[in-house]
Amino acid sequence: MVGLINNWMTQAEASLDDSKQPSWLQLKRQTAQQQLQQLDDPSRTLELWRYADVSRLSKSLNSVVAPSQSKSADSGETDLLIVLNESGYTCIGQQPEWLTIQSLVEMAAQDWQDITFDQETVVNLANTLLVQSGGLITVKTTQQPVHIKLVYDFADPEAWQYVRNHFNIAGGTKVHITEQHQTGRINAVNVYRLAAGAELIRQQDIQLNVAEQFVSYNQFDTAQNVDVVNMNHHIGGSLQHHHHVVNFNAERSKYKSGSINKSFDDNNITDIVNVNHHFKYNQSDVTHRSIAKDRSQIFNNAKAYVAVGADQTEIEQDLKNILLSPDAKIFSKPELEVYTDEVVAAHGSTIGALDDTVLFYLQSRGIDIEQSRDIMIESFEREALVC
Amino acid sequence: MLKVDNVFAKAGEKEILKGLSLTVKPGEVHAIMGPNGSGKSTFGNLLAGMPYVTPQSGSVEYMGKDLLSLEPAERAAEGVFLAFQYPVEIPGVNNMYFLRTALNAQRKYRGEEPMDSAQFLRMVKQKIKDLNMRDDLLKRPVNVGFSGGEKKRNEVFQMGVLEPKLAILDETDSGLDIDALKIVADGVNHLRSPDRSFIIITHYQRLLDYIKPDYVHVLADGKIAKTGDKSLAFELEEQGYGWLNK
Repeated sequence: MVGLINNWMTQAEASLDDSKQPSWLQLKRQTAQQQLQQLDDPSRTLELWRYADVSRLSKSLNSVVAPSQSKSADSGETDLLIVLNESGYTCIGQQPEWLTIQSLVEMAAQDWQDITFDQETVVNLANTLLVQSGGLITVKTTQQPVHIKLVYDFADPEAWQYVRNHFNIAGGTKVHITEQHQTGRINAVNVYRLAAGAELIRQQDIQLNVAEQFVSYNQFDTAQNVDVVNMNHHIGGSLQHHHHVVNFNAERSKYKSGSINKSFDDNNITDIVNVNHHFKYNQSDVTHRSIAKDRSQIFNNAKAYVAVGADQTEIEQDLKNILLSPDAKIFSKPELEVYTDEVVAAHGSTIGALDDTVLFYLQSRGIDIEQSRDIMIESFEREALVC
Repeated sequence: MLKVDNVFAKAGEKEILKGLSLTVKPGEVHAIMGPNGSGKSTFGNLLAGMPYVTPQSGSVEYMGKDLLSLEPAERAAEGVFLAFQYPVEIPGVNNMYFLRTALNAQRKYRGEEPMDSAQFLRMVKQKIKDLNMRDDLLKRPVNVGFSGGEKKRNEVFQMGVLEPKLAILDETDSGLDIDALKIVADGVNHLRSPDRSFIIITHYQRLLDYIKPDYVHVLADGKIAKTGDKSLAFELEEQGYGWLNK
């Protein structure tokens, strides 16, 4: 997209010399600025954006529709609700002792995790240049699993909001973190650092109205014996682009993810999972179920990399897709890149319509065609429910 | 109850039924036998409304209505039930939910009140007992991981819950061992009543040892070639279908 990097640079000018920011953060931004100057604007030539409509990143969202009533920022059954908006994090209710929150200006330089963004991830690199909100959330508890819900609730629906969340999960901690979109045009970078023995259930619940957009980069760095379950619901929106990167940085950890991607109208959703098996005895299991209707488009990609010596790795990739109309498109790509011998890996991908025989079976029991389709779609989605 | 008059129908692009006529009265059990490719399953699918089977001419009157003009779900709600030759698997949808949804959809069509979950549970527990089946069937996803015999038993169980007026069993006996065959046959016999009719499509006489038909029809080249009583099934078992070509 011609001019996107220039736009980012212009936006950054005002904040780069902001004296309220710690010097280390200004330095990170300046480094990102210098790197961006060497890169090209994002385009379809990038593997990560090949099937996404990158031009929508710079589109005006004049036709923004009010948030649907179904979105609610209530805490539900969670132990803590945290709202993130232009003012930063706000805990609704009393902040528990097992949790600490620091804003970007409060957090220490060593708690910021540098991520090697490049041309492919140039849109995420813009996040480092322009980050305004977020910080560090640390969870440390030996209690029963605790449940936190983080809600993105920005007042301005038009301007991009650059959010950076670092989640530090202490050793032995069991935590369930739900990230939910309420309002705002979000570019988020989330870094989950999991110490030995930590167990994380993470849910990303992004249900957008027809004009809304959400871009996220989500990195999971595991120590030994970590268990991560990552459940994603991506529904609707003018543009959703989610990139999940898992780094097994020690042995005997598990990553299991399920993604349900549903698009309709003119939606454009990308859901990419890259799992890097750097060490032995780790397992990854990635399941995607995607359903596209009308003129919408979905891109699924699951890639597993197994380094030299990372033996006894187990990998499962299962991507299934349903097209509900002739003009809808789905691109689905499971990939394995393996540099060692002792690996058990299975991968598969299918794209098709709803099975006519199953549809008839349901109808033959008295269920009308619309409800039969709904039941089949619900059944299809359930295969990706991992929590 | 059912009057099929000179029906011609295609399965896909192929003409399969070529002038089939059959009358079924309330309470009767009709067995349809015939060689492979004669049109037995196509006939069952035509009655249930499978889109792949398209009628070309002729008529099917069911309980005073033009059956072929009804949608598959409407036919089911009117009391037509097809036990599938190859029951399909529906992962993620358990039998209880599926059957309650189906039953209440049929009740809604007929202008009846929906059955609440407590009423439904009581009813299905009783049906399970009556049909001598295991209640773990209820909690499992529809046909997922079921053996061939379990799938066929599940079809009979669904029939018991939905209480159709006209039940069509499409090779329900195929792939069953003797014990499973007996359970299925007992289930069908339990459901026999003066106002419920059966069309039993089968290749083998052995099912008819357990389910006594009123009529046995031989279907050949898309139409009824011969009709008789149960002794016709014994003749077919002994002589095969070669005589049809003479």
